[in-house]
Amino acid sequence: MKKAISIWDANIIGRAVADSFKKLNPLTMLKNPVMFVVEVGAAFLTVRMVMNLVMPGAAGNFPFELQITLWLWFTVLFANFAEAMAEGRGKAQADTLRRSRTETHAKLLRNGSPEVVSATELRLDDVVLVEAGDFIPGDGEVIEGVASVDESAITGESAPVIREAGGDRSAVTGGTRVLSDWIKVRITANPGETFIDRMIALVEGAARQRTPNEIALNILLVGLTIVFLLAVVTLQPFAIYSNAPQTLFVLISLLVCLIPTTIGALLSAIGIAGMDRLVQHNVLAMSGRAVEAAGDVNTLLLDKTGTITLGNRQATEFIPLTGIDEHHLADAAQLSSSRTRPRKAARSSFWRSSGTACEAGRSTNSRRMPRSYRSLPKRECPASTSTDARSGRERWTRSRNISVKAVLSLRRNCGKWLRRSRGQAARRLWSPTIKRPLA
Amino acid sequence: MTTNGIIQILIYLAVLTVLAKPLGIYMTRVYAGERTLLSFILGPVERLFYKVGRVDPEKEMTWRQYGVAMLMFSLVSGIAVYAIQRLQFFLPLNPQQLAAPSEHSSFNTAVSFMTNTNWQGYGGETTLSYLSQMLGLTVQNFVSAAVGMALAIAFIRGIARFQTDKLGNFWADLVRGTLYILLPLSFLIAVLLVSQGVVQNFKAYDTANLTDTFVVQVDKKDDDGNVVTDEAGENVKEDKTIDTQTIAQGPAASQIAIKQLGTNGGGFFNVNSAHPLENPTPLSNFLEMLLILLIPVAFTYTLGRMVRSQGHGWAVYGAMMFLLVVGIATAYIAESRGNPLYPANVDQAVVGGNYEGKEVRLGMANSVLWATATSAASNGSVNSMHDSYTPIGGLVPMTNILLGEVIFGGVGAGMYGILVMIVLTVFIAGLMVGRTPEYLGKKIEAYDVKMAMLYVLIFPLSILGFTAVSVLAPDFGLTSLNNQGAHGLSEILYAFTSGTGNNGSAFAGLNANTYWYNTTIGLSMLIGRFLMIIPMLAIAGNLAQKKVVPATLGTFPVNTVLFSVLLVSIVLIVGALTFFPVLSLSPILEHFQMYAGQTF
Repeated sequence: MKKAISIWDANIIGRAVADSFKKLNPLTMLKNPVMFVVEVGAAFLTVRMVMNLVMPGAAGNFPFELQITLWLWFTVLFANFAEAMAEGRGKAQADTLRRSRTETHAKLLRNGSPEVVSATELRLDDVVLVEAGDFIPGDGEVIEGVASVDESAITGESAPVIREAGGDRSAVTGGTRVLSDWIKVRITANPGETFIDRMIALVEGAARQRTPNEIALNILLVGLTIVFLLAVVTLQPFAIYSNAPQTLFVLISLLVCLIPTTIGALLSAIGIAGMDRLVQHNVLAMSGRAVEAAGDVNTLLLDKTGTITLGNRQATEFIPLTGIDEHHLADAAQLSSSRTRPRKAARSSFWRSSGTACEAGRSTNSRRMPRSYRSLPKRECPASTSTDARSGRERWTRSRNISVKAVLSLRRNCGKWLRRSRGQAARRLWSPTIKRPLA
Repeated sequence: MTTNGIIQILIYLAVLTVLAKPLGIYMTRVYAGERTLLSFILGPVERLFYKVGRVDPEKEMTWRQYGVAMLMFSLVSGIAVYAIQRLQFFLPLNPQQLAAPSEHSSFNTAVSFMTNTNWQGYGGETTLSYLSQMLGLTVQNFVSAAVGMALAIAFIRGIARFQTDKLGNFWADLVRGTLYILLPLSFLIAVLLVSQGVVQNFKAYDTANLTDTFVVQVDKKDDDGNVVTDEAGENVKEDKTIDTQTIAQGPAASQIAIKQLGTNGGGFFNVNSAHPLENPTPLSNFLEMLLILLIPVAFTYTLGRMVRSQGHGWAVYGAMMFLLVVGIATAYIAESRGNPLYPANVDQAVVGGNYEGKEVRLGMANSVLWATATSAASNGSVNSMHDSYTPIGGLVPMTNILLGEVIFGGVGAGMYGILVMIVLTVFIAGLMVGRTPEYLGKKIEAYDVKMAMLYVLIFPLSILGFTAVSVLAPDFGLTSLNNQGAHGLSEILYAFTSGTGNNGSAFAGLNANTYWYNTTIGLSMLIGRFLMIIPMLAIAGNLAQKKVVPATLGTFPVNTVLFSVLLVSIVLIVGALTFFPVLSLSPILEHFQMYAGQTF
């Protein structure tokens, strides 16, 4: 999944060409009314052209008619091809995913001894053993043991979570990895129904719904098609009045020129391509609707920052305001952030280190300090650990011979300076930790 | 083209623009029910109306209730006008003893005035009594305009309000629009027009002896009044010496003021504002022309004020003004170039261009300016005959109407027309940046687009449908034509365009007072008015219910030049592409044929 698949892959093109003919089925085409009109026109002209050829006495201009007919068929086929290409890449990616699933092995427990089988062979109620370093082969429930599991592939949460038998922490998801210890898992989903399978289906575009905007745009296109259909249908009476009646070939080709074929042909391809592009960035959109909703987001509220920052946010630069020493700023920032909850203190690691090293910028040992916090499993890290934080701060201040009182006053002053300033600098500095924006 | 002419046009546009703000503010206050300068006189009258009609002006309506009230009111209005015409022979104020017009003509006229079209299938001074004109037509001139304005206000409320299903009270809007806006302005203008020499009396027609008698050929009639025919079936002609002229009279000034102000356009006299008693001086011409666009232009200011984004109002104004100026310029250039078929020894620069069908008193600039303004504003009054314009000159008024009467448009009607176009513009522009489109904080969704497309669809359906049937029917469609070929097609197309667009101006050259044309043009007027209002109101009702999304960097701003440009292109794409095939067979074809030496 990591590697982007080129769209010029021979397999994809081959499949897309085949698909574009399969999609000529009128029932499929009906979903796209604009192209359906083109197809009907093309079919009509084909019949007409053949009739002109075989019927005696019918005067037709064969080369012209053939050319128009072929162009129309080409227009329809190209629309189908574009859609098939967009789907093709998704399909190729789904294949990769599927392959990785077949390559996952499971230690199936039969009669108490583990037996290595392919993950796809697992059925409902099979029990598997998963040890440190193994991937969990399918969705299931822990029935024995405790293990820390890396679920980042599914949830994005970088910190491992504890999964244990009983209680509300017993569900595990296929594709996640056990980091330590072992568990026995009872499989609760048949192949094809697991979380990963649903992801595959999504990538393939099998479960693609039309988004609200797509529906609205389709209405617009259908409306325009009807308007132009009307314009062309009524053109013939006017042409007859003007003593210049036109052939069907001219009228239908005029219609196809007028109706919004380009956007009609590419609309579904655009939708698929949007989701496909997200997949390339390892973002799974559950539906096109979700992609669209994401586009409409004005304000993003996050209840936990770890989900999108891998839990190790760092300040990359300190920009002191005029009259403030950089050391001073680093100290203030450090003190300020140390009052926050321990998990967030992870972020202050850089500040701490740079505060001591007096160096604004990148720091090589930024990850050193907070490890104790970061590796803590979630359950051992309840929200109310302010005492830990306080004691941590006290330790720190004591080691530097600063009284807690002095620190607090420093912090207050620092806040004042920042509040007074309305510039960019303050915001850039404070945005990583601050709960309420100052400006 | 002369410098003098260009300066006159520029002065006209400048005065319009200057007046937009004060009138726009005044209109906003009136429709909000706030106190205005005239409240102390008109307030009691207004309350009397509510009392008699048992209307609570504070009780607001949903879009459906609003629509039903509007339809009921229009239906009753239509029936009343029809009845007055049919009974005019025994009603008072009929000094000429005019008989009742035919059923189809009465139907056509009733529909025409009820829908603010004012297409005239009849000749005013030869068909209708003073009572029919005053009680039937003049009343409709007021209220049909007030209905259009009320609807536009309802639409703007739909945009400005949020999370409500109420759009205002139709009866209150109707009364306020008529009493506070149309009535005082018309009164003022009528007095000004009388000062310029427009007639206002109840006298029987005068007869004047001509100093310069002339002879015409008329059909010979026998003693029973039947036309005499010869063996070949041709009418026998005889000479008749004309030595007298009938001078029509009547209460003209009061009707002219409102016909111009309310974008009605139904002239008191048959030749409309080319008549010297309807439009006697350059000042009266300027005033009448100003009134055509006065309220529609002010509406753009009202829009900006009501949605609390004056920039948006000006952006809409800019888009409309651009289209108007392009129209004026095109028509002016085309008409000034004159007719290529004039003999070579005629210096067109001296003549001043194609003067056929234009009133020499008024001149070239004022004729094309009027023609462009009247077609842009769905007014339909004329001071020159569009039929006699050069093909390109005639194309301008036709295109103005075909674009959907949104270049300022009719009072109210133009505003809600352009608002539907704006909904489409914002939708298309929004999709270009990949967000759900918002219009002033309202998300534009499938339902709105569906209704907007319905609105767009009905227009060509009526125009192209009726025209296509007419040109295929030699019995009843083509017999009315005075000209054949491309020009004939223009005449029929213009008639249905004018009807559906609720414009009411005529290309003439087509005898529309026949069973077929009276009925179908009547129908096209009904379609063009009410079938378009219903989807429009549905959008308004739907927008009013929506929540407001805060504007962000990703929001497409609707107060920029870019927006105006997009709006113009959408109007052009929707209008021009639809009608280009038929236009290419009428005025455009005629243009090339004229340069090839062929006329009709």
